[in-house]
Amino acid sequence: MKRLLALVLVLTLALGVTAALAQEKMYISVISKGEQHAFWQAVRMGCEDAANELGVDMFYYGPPSEADIVLQVEALKAEMAKNPAALALAALSTDAVMTELQEAIEKGIPVIGFDSGVPNAPEGAIYATASTNNQNAAALAAEKLLEDEGLKAKLTAATPEAPVVVAVLSQDATSESVTGRTTGFVNKFVELAGEYGVVEVQGHTSWAMAAEKPAIILHVEIGASPRIDDMTNAANAVLNKNNLAAIFCSNEGAVAGMLAATADGSEFGEGGRFNGILVAGFDAGAPQKNAVKNGWFVGSVTQDPYRIGYLAVELAVKAANGEAVEDVDTGAQWYTKDNIDEPNIALLVYD
Amino acid sequence: MSQQNEVLVRMTGIHKYFPGVHALNDVQFELRAGEVHALVGENGAGKSTLMKVLTGIYEKDAGEIEVMGKPVEIRSTKDAQNLGISIVHQELNLLKDLTVAENVYIGRENMNGFLLDKKAQNKRAQEFLDRLNLNIKATQNVGRMTVAKQQMVEIAKALSYENTRILILDEPTAPLSDVEIDELFRFVRDMRSRGVGIIYISHRMGELKQISDRITVMRDGQYVDTVDTATTPIDEIIRMMVGRVIYEQPKTESHVATGAPVVLEVKNLRSRDVRDVSFQLKKGEILGLAGLVGAGRTEVGRLISGADKRDGGEIYVNGKLADIQSPCDAVELGIGYLSEDRRRYGLCLGLSVANNIALTKLDSFTQGIAVNDRQIKSTAREYREKMDIRTPSVDTLVRSLSGGNQQKVVVSKWLVRNCDVLIFDEPTRGIDVGAKSEIYKLMHSLIEEGKSIIMISSEMPELLRMADRILVMCEGEKTGELGIEEATQEKIMALAAPQV
Amino acid sequence: MSVQGVAQAQNVRKLDYQKLLAPAVLVVMYAFFAIFGNNFFSSYTLKTILESAYYTGLMSFGITFVIITGGIDLSIGTNMMCSAIIGGVAFSMWGWPLWLALCLVPLVGVMFGVLNGILVAKAKLPPFIATLGMMLVTQGFGSIVSRVQTQRYPTIGTENEWFKTVFYRTGNFPTGALYLLTAFLIAAFVLNKTRFGRYVYAIGSNEEATRLSGVKVDKFKILAYAVCGLFAGIGGILYAATYTTAIPGTGNGLETYAIAAVIIGGTSMAGGSGTMVGTLIGIFIMAVLKAGLASLGLQAHWQTFFTGIVVIGAVLMDNVRVRAAQKVKVKT
Repeated sequence: MKRLLALVLVLTLALGVTAALAQEKMYISVISKGEQHAFWQAVRMGCEDAANELGVDMFYYGPPSEADIVLQVEALKAEMAKNPAALALAALSTDAVMTELQEAIEKGIPVIGFDSGVPNAPEGAIYATASTNNQNAAALAAEKLLEDEGLKAKLTAATPEAPVVVAVLSQDATSESVTGRTTGFVNKFVELAGEYGVVEVQGHTSWAMAAEKPAIILHVEIGASPRIDDMTNAANAVLNKNNLAAIFCSNEGAVAGMLAATADGSEFGEGGRFNGILVAGFDAGAPQKNAVKNGWFVGSVTQDPYRIGYLAVELAVKAANGEAVEDVDTGAQWYTKDNIDEPNIALLVYD
Repeated sequence: MSQQNEVLVRMTGIHKYFPGVHALNDVQFELRAGEVHALVGENGAGKSTLMKVLTGIYEKDAGEIEVMGKPVEIRSTKDAQNLGISIVHQELNLLKDLTVAENVYIGRENMNGFLLDKKAQNKRAQEFLDRLNLNIKATQNVGRMTVAKQQMVEIAKALSYENTRILILDEPTAPLSDVEIDELFRFVRDMRSRGVGIIYISHRMGELKQISDRITVMRDGQYVDTVDTATTPIDEIIRMMVGRVIYEQPKTESHVATGAPVVLEVKNLRSRDVRDVSFQLKKGEILGLAGLVGAGRTEVGRLISGADKRDGGEIYVNGKLADIQSPCDAVELGIGYLSEDRRRYGLCLGLSVANNIALTKLDSFTQGIAVNDRQIKSTAREYREKMDIRTPSVDTLVRSLSGGNQQKVVVSKWLVRNCDVLIFDEPTRGIDVGAKSEIYKLMHSLIEEGKSIIMISSEMPELLRMADRILVMCEGEKTGELGIEEATQEKIMALAAPQV
Repeated sequence: MSVQGVAQAQNVRKLDYQKLLAPAVLVVMYAFFAIFGNNFFSSYTLKTILESAYYTGLMSFGITFVIITGGIDLSIGTNMMCSAIIGGVAFSMWGWPLWLALCLVPLVGVMFGVLNGILVAKAKLPPFIATLGMMLVTQGFGSIVSRVQTQRYPTIGTENEWFKTVFYRTGNFPTGALYLLTAFLIAAFVLNKTRFGRYVYAIGSNEEATRLSGVKVDKFKILAYAVCGLFAGIGGILYAATYTTAIPGTGNGLETYAIAAVIIGGTSMAGGSGTMVGTLIGIFIMAVLKAGLASLGLQAHWQTFFTGIVVIGAVLMDNVRVRAAQKVKVKT
């Protein structure tokens, strides 16, 4: 009986202290998937800027690598014990944090997902998610490709007898992000290219759309497996198309396959076998940046980790204040050899 | 032999052609109920082919087969089985992890609805085994049994088909010791008295005298003659088989020079299967190692050659204590072991004759980092000449040679290495008569070259003919040593049989 | 020799025809795709075929030794990846000069090969189990050393461009093919002409008989696995040159292509027989098939499907060949 009393006393005290602190300054916890990676550093910077501007106290944690599930869970437990006003979480494994999510529901702590968020979380745990809308991001690539005068001219000149081919190279047809990007690109391209001629979508059955007498063919190629050798083979299959005018590679894996098939992309350059074919990539990484810098790729789409971080904290604060929140698209950026070294872009594209 | 007149099988005018070969040329054969009919001939004479025609493995190209008076066409082994013809092959076809009962009734298991009824099956098997007077437990694992027992199980399996009246035994005694052979023969005679007709294929002339009623001789795919065993001397049969008379007389005195040095001495050799065996081997001597199967003779050979690790005992080579831990050590010291199971322990069947011969001494055929194939081949050709290995070329795979020629390849292998002590374990097992005498000749010429031989054999006449001294073993122990002057089959047997 | 020798001679001749089967399949396949494939018959496609054969080829040469001894090495794919990852770590995380990091790559491969060999020869583990375990060990080890970071090798147009020109391609010349060819010549020489090579066949044909002949079987088995690991390690360099990135946690599955190439080339899984030329042909059958099916415009999963069919077909063919070989019998 004495022990119970003591426990109650301590708890009340603790609650009182945190409540007092909260009155002073709101406390927000951010648990991310990593820390060392440039991508996550940009996320952190966004979080910190948002916390400063909104005048809240923020704690940021990222495990050393995306394999350190245990460390992430422990950090999350420690933060839950502090009773934060709100929590922003990019879970490495939803299953591993199930208990904590339940606890958050019970305690009424709002949880905001960011980046990949917390897929399959229990009902009511996640108030909103700040993440890149993959469809919109890929649509950006379609828009940027179709700003190219050379491609426009080719599409205009295309006839049903000699159709022009544009291809999408994707790693799989199952993961949410990659299928979203593929769909986003296909839809936007069909919409925009319709101005120049009849468009038919060929290739993988999930996206195929037949048309009569097409002058423009959008080919969707999916690798036999996400493994790089299969992706390279798929890239070779794409490059083998007659009258190929442009290619969109929908993630880093697809880009890696394309680069392996074209001597790091150099074959798209001056004097290369595929010179004249426009290539747009997605994400970053040293080899891709190299291809963009050299002008072998016209450009690539990157997510905006800074805005992911910023909006995650903003949503968390809103939710803590009891405002209604909903999912937001953190947007994407288009980078080319001209702007890749500008500080605001350089921040986004990791090595 | 009341049923002797009933003819179970009559084959007449059988022809069988293989591409380019007339394998059976107008062959005839007859088997009566209640007789043991031996079928003899050298390897390649056509015995196996004839039996394969009878059991439906091959289809004949011409000729007639009658079974119990009715003309039949045998197109598959199933047909043969339905006609009551069963064969026990030389290579045992038992599943070693299963019990006797399971082996005997495989494919015809006792069922209880969808489930196996092991109890009933074991009972049925045990009754059947008892009926055959076989001292075998139905529930025993076949893999744990001696080869001899396994052989009996194989025969029991063949007889377990209700209608079996024609039983073909292909070299049944090859893996057996004399006592076991007697056991087998009792069994065979028992079958004969029940009216089963038995076709008996063997190379062992002595056995034929003991067990068979009639003998049919084949040579080069042709029928030579059928004779009554009782009235025909063995020499005559051998002459029919090979077309020449083979000299076979026991040795009467040791050929070892007096004062010949001891090349190998073994003191208190011990292992799981060998207990304190000691002996000496003199230069130029053939030391016979006699005993029943399982007496530990092969084990002694393996211990000396480093194939197995010994638990104790010393080995002296040329008077010096030798530290033999592996075959590699033994080979270094000039000891070569020629296993009874050539295919398993002696040869790389998938390699050429030349490569097998060179295997023991490949380092000396290596110049710099490359193997000198020309030298290997010329050496191999030399040995082909010397040993009379009958092979189209030294590049031929050893797999395609006959047993006798394979044995010669094994011997060559050790001669290339220049081994001074050769341990021959059952050197003539599964080899036909002609090739046997060649192996004997070979051993004599090795002795003349100054080599010494330990000869392990289960065939006593062979030992009496070849050895200068005979060491007898029983249950892992050395039970006696006989000079060739005093050795007789009876004396050897007395020492080899376990004292109960 | 009796009349039956004639039959034997005929069988031998039949065998020789079967030896020509794999090369014939390669030629027929190439011709087929040249006719029906889109842009298949071109020097560019030929280059693509070559390039996809670099690292698989190296793995296949290495594992040919192990398979002929009657063993198997399932860890080559992950071993290769692990070697490439560790080289990348030495270069990018430990700050080693690239040339030194590249020297480390084959050493890692050999190390795991030797471990495999010891497990198989000394600890007497079944090769399937030992190397299956090593497959996971190498996969995990790469992740541990790299802290699960993807390793990237220098690309064309960057500071250490020489890496690509030396190991992959110079202008339009496929330099990687030189390594493939050199590795083939060395592997073929070692297998056919050295004592080790001869023992590899002997062990595969009959290990116990070989041991009883005084051959230090254990030593040569370990050597076979070490050679296999060495080739996988060198394959790691060529892999890095071809694909630039080495990703932790990957690499399993690559061994299936390497093993398939060996089997297609006529090496028996039972051990004792096989040739390096066969393996080389097997590698190119796989590579031509890959490029060819893609040129037909088939979707990728159909390519996987047909590759499987070809592997099964090759093994069936091998069975027929083995049976024919065993029928040959010299009667005297």
